[in-house]
Amino acid sequence: MAVVFIILSHTAIAQKGGFLDHLRIGFGAGANSAHIIDLSPYSIYEDLTGQEYLSEYSGMLRNIGNQYFVQAEWYNDFLIVALKPGTYSYHFSKLNEVMFTTETVEEQTPYLLRYLTVPVEVRYNYDLRRFRPYGGLNLAYSHLLGSLDPSNQTFLRTKLTAGAELGTYIDLRYIILDINLGYHSGLHNIASKTDRFGTGGGTSFAQDDLLLNDLQLSISVLFSLQKQRNYSNIECYY
Amino acid sequence: MKRIIPYILLAGLLTNGCEILQKDILPEEGFTKIYNHPEETLSFYPESVIELGGDGYIFVSAVKDEESEVEYPYAYLTRVNASGELEWSLEYSWLSPCSNLIKQGNSTGFIAMNQQFQAYFVEIDPASGEELSSTSLGMTMPLYAFSDKSGNIVVLGYDFVSRSSWVAKYNSNLTLERSTLLSINDDLEYEVQRHLNKTGQSYPFFIGEFDGTAGPGYYVNCFYNYTLRCVFLDASSMGTTGNLYSFRTEEGISSMLYKSGSLFGMTSYYEGNNYILPETEVNVNSSDNIKDWPANPLYELTFKAKVLAGEIATDSADYELFVSQTNSNSLVMYKYAMESDSLLATIYKEFDERLEVKDFIQTADKGIVVLARIYILGKYQRPMLIKFPPETFLPEKEKGLFTKN
Repeated sequence: MAVVFIILSHTAIAQKGGFLDHLRIGFGAGANSAHIIDLSPYSIYEDLTGQEYLSEYSGMLRNIGNQYFVQAEWYNDFLIVALKPGTYSYHFSKLNEVMFTTETVEEQTPYLLRYLTVPVEVRYNYDLRRFRPYGGLNLAYSHLLGSLDPSNQTFLRTKLTAGAELGTYIDLRYIILDINLGYHSGLHNIASKTDRFGTGGGTSFAQDDLLLNDLQLSISVLFSLQKQRNYSNIECYY
Repeated sequence: MKRIIPYILLAGLLTNGCEILQKDILPEEGFTKIYNHPEETLSFYPESVIELGGDGYIFVSAVKDEESEVEYPYAYLTRVNASGELEWSLEYSWLSPCSNLIKQGNSTGFIAMNQQFQAYFVEIDPASGEELSSTSLGMTMPLYAFSDKSGNIVVLGYDFVSRSSWVAKYNSNLTLERSTLLSINDDLEYEVQRHLNKTGQSYPFFIGEFDGTAGPGYYVNCFYNYTLRCVFLDASSMGTTGNLYSFRTEEGISSMLYKSGSLFGMTSYYEGNNYILPETEVNVNSSDNIKDWPANPLYELTFKAKVLAGEIATDSADYELFVSQTNSNSLVMYKYAMESDSLLATIYKEFDERLEVKDFIQTADKGIVVLARIYILGKYQRPMLIKFPPETFLPEKEKGLFTKN
């Protein structure tokens, strides 16, 4: 929330200085792949003979989630500040084994974490006329949305991430496409330590301390409030 | 407006920062641990747990092996650290260990029997589990053991020769001080054997102490005069002063707690249902039928559910706690006021599989540890420890002062 206040206050100030002439707004969507890092495993099972039971999270290729957001940008010749508030959902699963002499039981727990996220991105771009590639940094505040899934209750409501971005704008005269690829790293453990064992009816696992990183690919459509430059085909024949 | 924004920012950052860091929350404050043994033919019957001075816990289980030629379960001790993680586990040749584990000074041990049904106190080294000594108690078929506030040990057994319940009091050196035989007038050896070898009904045998207006004494739930009764004994002479009874051995008191004066809290079961009497005036010098007293039914508890009663202390008040299990696979705790019969809170913890509570203790940090048996995958009976943090038992208005999330 603190980040939102910063943006709003700066926006209000900036409006007085022709801010709207440098504003683009739009919307976007994309897919993400959650990268789960197990900081400290906590098992609900202890084996009396000292055996260790397998406990692992699904890999990035299986953790495909999605995001939907609105996008607002302020820009000048080189620098762009983008705000992309929206719903960001992450899928992953955990596999736990319990071993017996004649059988090994596997228990898989799926997770779906839906966050209301407000990312702020600062981008530096190069003007190659129709294409404007950029690189930048990202900082995001997220709030976990409610769910009936008991395992969802074992996570903190707040999540902070930071990351790096690569992408390009494609100027199509009336609209601008923003193709963006970013890797975001969780800045803290997202599991609630007090609710580690409150996984609801299931007694088969305890919530580990986790970092939730993610790789995001997004496409946005932006509308500029300023008159567009002319990159038409006719112009190319001169 | 601009002047307010930095303060809002600061408040937001502090609030989020406290939630994210979670530095004050330690793993030992609350946990749930299931202790699995890979051998499917073993069934664990946890009996009793003790805390080792904030350095972890030891619990004793009776383990029944389907393939064993000995029909009685053997003793099995498990030591875990303060977070519930396994440190060691050992099996012993002693049979049918009974509640409770005894901890007196540096001595830790349990009471069990040999193959000739002779009761022994078995002392172990809590650091390694090594058996240090075994002392014969001169009685047979031990059913329950209790360590009183003075360090004496009171043991309930069954004497199959005289067909009597046998209550003996030993001092801290395990020297017999007094014993009494409570004649059953009926041969219940088969029922006692089935209780001990885990093939029949598990009877709610227990012992506690009181210090009422009539002087100090013990209450012992045992077989007496054809019936499962709660017998009141004088602490010095160990002679009976009174008792509470119901219908033969099919009904009786399932748990009891001494409150103060002549007030007791208790639960009883009748036709399989448990009933609660959170505060009842009991004359320990008379014989009373528990069905004469009004009681509230606890229909949610399982058939003939085991109930554990005890007193817990928080920083602000003491409470009466009854712990049991429900038909919907939940562990349930009823928190009553110590000074009245008011129900203050009912706390549930739900599980996927059937569970049965066996023992609970209050820990040094004023949390609660419950020892239970759970059916992993619905079929393998294994011990489970559940640690509830002290905040669980605080009044709602005080929780905010202590919760760290």
